[in-house]
Amino acid sequence: MSAKLQVNNLRKSFGSLHVLRDLDFEVNEHEFVAIVGPSGCGKTTLLRTIAGIEVPDAGAVLIDGHPIKGPGADRGFVFQQDSLLPWRTIWKNLVFGLEVNGRLTEANVAKAKKLLKLVGLSGFEQYYPNQISGGMRQRVNLARALALNPEVLIMDEPFSALDAQTREVMQLELLRIWQHGRKTVLFITHQIDEAVFVADRIVVLGRRPGRVKEIIPIDLPRPRDLSVKRTAAFGAYVDQVWNLIENDVRASIDEDTQLPAA
Amino acid sequence: MMGRSERAMGSREEGNVAVEADIGPNRRWPGNAALYWTSTTSIVGGLLIWEIVGRFVVKNALFLTTPTQIVAATFQLIAEGDLQRHVAASASEFFIGLVIAILLGIGVGFAMASDKYAKRALGPWVAAFYATPTIAISPLIILWAGIGIWSKVIVVIINAIFPMIINTEAGLRSTDKQLIEAARCFGCSRLQVFWKISLPSAVPFLFAGIKLAIGRGLVAVVVAELFGSRAGLGFLLAQASDAFNMPLLFVSVVLLAVTGMTLTWLVGAIERLLMPWRTLSERES
Repeated sequence: MSAKLQVNNLRKSFGSLHVLRDLDFEVNEHEFVAIVGPSGCGKTTLLRTIAGIEVPDAGAVLIDGHPIKGPGADRGFVFQQDSLLPWRTIWKNLVFGLEVNGRLTEANVAKAKKLLKLVGLSGFEQYYPNQISGGMRQRVNLARALALNPEVLIMDEPFSALDAQTREVMQLELLRIWQHGRKTVLFITHQIDEAVFVADRIVVLGRRPGRVKEIIPIDLPRPRDLSVKRTAAFGAYVDQVWNLIENDVRASIDEDTQLPAA
Repeated sequence: MMGRSERAMGSREEGNVAVEADIGPNRRWPGNAALYWTSTTSIVGGLLIWEIVGRFVVKNALFLTTPTQIVAATFQLIAEGDLQRHVAASASEFFIGLVIAILLGIGVGFAMASDKYAKRALGPWVAAFYATPTIAISPLIILWAGIGIWSKVIVVIINAIFPMIINTEAGLRSTDKQLIEAARCFGCSRLQVFWKISLPSAVPFLFAGIKLAIGRGLVAVVVAELFGSRAGLGFLLAQASDAFNMPLLFVSVVLLAVTGMTLTWLVGAIERLLMPWRTLSERES
């Protein structure tokens, strides 16, 4: 296994606020890595830096050993919610990445059709995003990112806006889809159990400045189904992560209540 | 419709989501017949009351004319060929002015949304002119530009352009930041962000601006013609009013009302055609 995505000693401040300090981890090829952290762990800044739309003060992001220079189709993004364009049909949304990168070839269109089928949305090409459910929208979001065939798939709390049951189904669906090509995935979430369920390793971040607290390998057999969530090993992992971030979470809540105007 | 959702129910988790998505692209909502006829009944009833009052209550033709008299006057005017001449004059003034106002308005609105110096430089002027009844300076425009067609075109422009500028700017500014960020992550250039994200998301605002511009433009063309012209519906209005010819006066008033309604409806139809996703969400709510 080799490092596909390397985040090397990232450092970023906005004025006197240190957002990231020596943030350092890597994601191996075909590996599924989840990032968990309390609010204020700098995950937005990390994400923007990996996307290439934020320049770090120090450090670098490397893909296959090459530092990234701005945004690029080698990284595919799945965002929190409703980043689909409301005026485009599902199909037009799906091929958006291909379109703006000038890669709307016949072969890629055929692949996109297969992807739509893979996420279970064949037949919905001509629908608009506001006609389908939140879960379905996130499937389109996932397919849109995969359509570019990126080296790394970066998912930013993709299921946070879904209801609890849909979220469970989507986690399962994500793993099913992931099994197909085993893309390298960086998955950012607030849900500890979600992270344990999907990931090979969990990078636990500390807050303000954001830095790596610990990296926990998740040794649960794949393919996983929802029954894994009821095993003792799963519970132990969730506890372990929670214990690592508990104090930080409390600190962020205190800060929020003490500084309401901030 | 059913065939479509059945097909989508292939995998086992698909069942419940497919039901939610049963609002197909062409789904027609069951029409409410009573609701549908409400406007028609209201208009016909209103005209009927007007006719009755005009014939039996206020009998003096100087104070009130009746719908039938207006229709008769309209046909007479058409037969004489006058109506066509007046409509052609007003229509050309109005449409030339409107098109220029829309294009120029979008241009200025775009400049103000994308350049902070342009915003600072133009903002106060736009705000001041938007709030002022610019119609009041139409005599001045006619004094400067003469009583030909162009003075009216200018009056239309200065009345119709400000809602257009303000709406364009607001539309471009209100673009969802998340969508822009997502587009940039996908590698969109600034130009692509404008064409593929900002502009489409501003389209509803542009249409709202066009509707306002139509209303203001119609008023502008008539008022400008009142102040000085040789033809047009405003000219007709002034003539009829001077002669105390009530039916003739109402011919132009009714024509203007009908034109305003038709144009607004037309723009609405284009809007629905261009933005099916919006109509669908409106129907849902």
